[in-house]
Amino acid sequence: MADLRDQTLLYRLRREWPAYIYLVPTIVVLLVLNAYPIAYTVYISLTDFGTGGRGSLLAYHYIGLTNYYLAVTSGASVSWQLIENSFIWAAGSVALFLLVGLGLATVLNQQIFGRTVYRTLMMLPWAMPAFITILVWANMWQYETGIINALLSEVGISPVDWLQHPTTAWAALFITNVWLSFPFYTVVFLATMQAIPKDLYEAASIDGAGGLSKFVNITLPFLRPTIIFVGLMGFLFTFNNFYPIYLITSGGPGLSTQIFITESYKDAFGLGGSPAFSTAAMYSVIDFLFVLVITVVVIWTTDLTRNWLK
Amino acid sequence: MTGIRLENVTKRFKTDTAVDDVSAQIQDGEFVVILGASGSGKSTILRIIAGLEVQTSGHVYIGDMLVDDYEPRDRNLAMVFQTYALYPHLTIYQNIGFALKVRHVPRPEIDRAVREVAARLGIAETLERRPAELSGGQRQRVALARAIVRKPEAFLLDEPLSNLDAKIRTTARIELKRIHSELNETFVFVTHDQAEAMTLGDRLAVLSHGRLLQFDTPQRIMSDPASQYVASFVGSPEMVFLEGNVLMMGGSSTFVDGPVELPLRGLGGPGQITVGIRPWDVTVWKGPRVGGLPGRVTGVERLGSSDQLFIDLLPRPSGSSPITPASAAPTVSVRALARAYDHGVGDSVVVELDPDRALFFDSGGNRLQSVSASNHPA
Amino acid sequence: MRRRRGRRAIRIAKKVATHAILIAACLFALFPIYFIIITSFSTLPIAAITAHVLVPSPSHLTLASYHTILYSLSPSFTSLLTNSLIFAGSAAAIGLGLAAFTGFALSKFQFPGRRTFVYFILIISLFPGFIMILPFYLMFAKVGLIDSYIGLIIPYSAGAVVFSGILVKNYMDSIPDDIEEAALMDGMGRTQAFFRVLLPLCLPVLGLAAFLAFIGPYTDYALANVFLTADPTKWTLALGLYNIANTDTGEQNYGLVTAFAILMSLPIVAFYMAFQRYIIGGLTLGAVRG
Repeated sequence: MADLRDQTLLYRLRREWPAYIYLVPTIVVLLVLNAYPIAYTVYISLTDFGTGGRGSLLAYHYIGLTNYYLAVTSGASVSWQLIENSFIWAAGSVALFLLVGLGLATVLNQQIFGRTVYRTLMMLPWAMPAFITILVWANMWQYETGIINALLSEVGISPVDWLQHPTTAWAALFITNVWLSFPFYTVVFLATMQAIPKDLYEAASIDGAGGLSKFVNITLPFLRPTIIFVGLMGFLFTFNNFYPIYLITSGGPGLSTQIFITESYKDAFGLGGSPAFSTAAMYSVIDFLFVLVITVVVIWTTDLTRNWLK
Repeated sequence: MTGIRLENVTKRFKTDTAVDDVSAQIQDGEFVVILGASGSGKSTILRIIAGLEVQTSGHVYIGDMLVDDYEPRDRNLAMVFQTYALYPHLTIYQNIGFALKVRHVPRPEIDRAVREVAARLGIAETLERRPAELSGGQRQRVALARAIVRKPEAFLLDEPLSNLDAKIRTTARIELKRIHSELNETFVFVTHDQAEAMTLGDRLAVLSHGRLLQFDTPQRIMSDPASQYVASFVGSPEMVFLEGNVLMMGGSSTFVDGPVELPLRGLGGPGQITVGIRPWDVTVWKGPRVGGLPGRVTGVERLGSSDQLFIDLLPRPSGSSPITPASAAPTVSVRALARAYDHGVGDSVVVELDPDRALFFDSGGNRLQSVSASNHPA
Repeated sequence: MRRRRGRRAIRIAKKVATHAILIAACLFALFPIYFIIITSFSTLPIAAITAHVLVPSPSHLTLASYHTILYSLSPSFTSLLTNSLIFAGSAAAIGLGLAAFTGFALSKFQFPGRRTFVYFILIISLFPGFIMILPFYLMFAKVGLIDSYIGLIIPYSAGAVVFSGILVKNYMDSIPDDIEEAALMDGMGRTQAFFRVLLPLCLPVLGLAAFLAFIGPYTDYALANVFLTADPTKWTLALGLYNIANTDTGEQNYGLVTAFAILMSLPIVAFYMAFQRYIIGGLTLGAVRG
């Protein structure tokens, strides 16, 4: 309501205390179901819990940063792969999301016949449960039975063993990911574009600007905060997006598409041999640190939250 | 039907003071206008009365009741916001009746009250519509209806006419005054528009930087302003100010600003003072007049209902006055207002200032009440 | 100065290109969905699906798979559906309430510690949630809440709290303060004003928040798998789907899997269609605000 920034602490407490009541449920939930498990996970990463052999479910020991040490020495190649892949996955996906989203939004921003129909149809991938659609895509990318290869044969291109080579595996993953997310980005960008006052464009026309110039000088600056915001959100979401990679490539071939979270899962449930929960915990912590640093850096350098919290 | 009293109300923020020790007694049934520029604290005072802000020190009384610790909902005041703040998701009927519904007034009674108020304000046919479908003027009336239907102790209005088109504003103003006299309730009205204040208020409270400068009837504020600020703020076109020196010769003091010389009475000693005179107390002649000052017209504003002339006074020829030495005096400009002038830019005219109507202020802007001008040296 | 005729040709070309691009995008978007739908009307094994999809012949379309799913499943489809609705519905309701309260507190109050709190919850939400399955399991096992409804609903509710809370906050920020003040002057306390004035005005973003809070738990496999080990009567649709997809039956009859998937998706798509205006509205306003 009123701007209370200039008031004393006591005044603000006396007036705004109901806020704390409203937040109690959320605080309880976050502490119990978020903060505590995180702390617990961090603790586990400092033990040998579940690493078959030395520690088991019943008896485990505190070993400090041994896991981390191993990750950067004997496990260095794996760790590097994970870092590299996670970034490729997140950055590559977001780049594509932004491009496709912006492109389609620009196209949709005109007065076209049937615009709502197009928009509704295009939103369908987003409305369907991802778990299901990803399974379908996984099936479509199969070498022998997959429909994509079948379609390629129809057009005369020889079938590609998508999941056997890193490059094509990444291609398959990116295409699937774009399919999953492009509706969201398109809608958000379209909405932002429609909020731009039309007379800016008219003034530019009078000044002699052409389409491209208008886009670069009017549309993009207006979109900048939105691009940064959804770009960051998309990056963080994709970085830890488990299902596409797990269901389509399982991290393969080898480890070429394995990211932190899928490796974590593999270690936690012993899918690569014996369960190594402390390793899984460690990867999660490292994952979190990367994500945290990136978020802080982006927010700082782009001044994203300047007016957000009064 | 109650008066409102503010007792040494102060509102301080970390960096500045929005309301500075304001005390005032608003009479029951009065239409008080709080007048001030942006940032003068006028809205803050209103919100303190309403309970939306809590004062740092001081007390607020509604009637005889001390309401400092009362929430807005318990103060039984109604407020009309500058943006009207109508509930967008409710119909006009529901908007007006909402406060009654909250108080569990029985339905038939709500219905009667809402329809009565709506008819009275001429918005009866909008009752089933939503605020977004109404014009600005209609929305303003809905905001008013919403306040009236509650039968509050007093009405608080925060610049309710500022968002209206100029033409509608004048009609709305008249309507508001009419409603006030019909209801006979206490109205506290905040505005920065001095014309609005002058026409609407029984008494005006002039505010600047959180300080209450003067709380009086419009007429007395015009004729007897408490400070230079008040004198300059109220009255349109703005008062003409001449800054100059008081020279003492023998036992008499004279105000001098360029060619302007005014013998003064009641002044202690020499110094700098400011003389203020209303443009309509400045008379313009075509030909020479005794005691008149020659000048040249530099601008003309024809406003339809009146004309304003901008005139530069010519410096006195050296030696023409015993008081003024040969001068390289800066140009003194004045403005004159009359029903109509047929002068044009560049014309030579003779200007006469009515000394009986002049007001005097010291260099700090304070009013020098005891000083007056005369046409003859004391 | 461009010539009139040339400009007209360019305009037509632009229009054609526009529609071409949009049609291509729609085909891209709809193809996998078409795939699922067509396959569900068959009982073919995975290997033979492809040909069927490319050139579907009406004579091969059958409702057999649907029939099997709906009537011959164990645990029954109805039971799976009911469980999923209970879990996701409750979680969505709780999550929505949490989001609404949080958004309100963050938007309309300026309490001491607000900045720190927001940073805290944002940072917490960055942690990859997956790994918490084990701590969850241990915690809930200790309290004996494994294999129970409440046990699973609780972690589900926590899923979208931070994100939805921020969404609601952004939306509420755009509601002018004086509407709340008018409500106060009208005789309401802040709580009343919240429920009777602010909340109704937030319907779009609440619709979006509910949708997001529902979809997560409804499609979750990982947590359900860990929590609902012993008792098949409590299984969710996701568990059922995984079950079918990974057995021989699934490989032999891909129609079963896709029919199941379609049936499972129906509530979601229905929800989306019904509240489309709200959801997209909430998206645009919540996200545009940044």
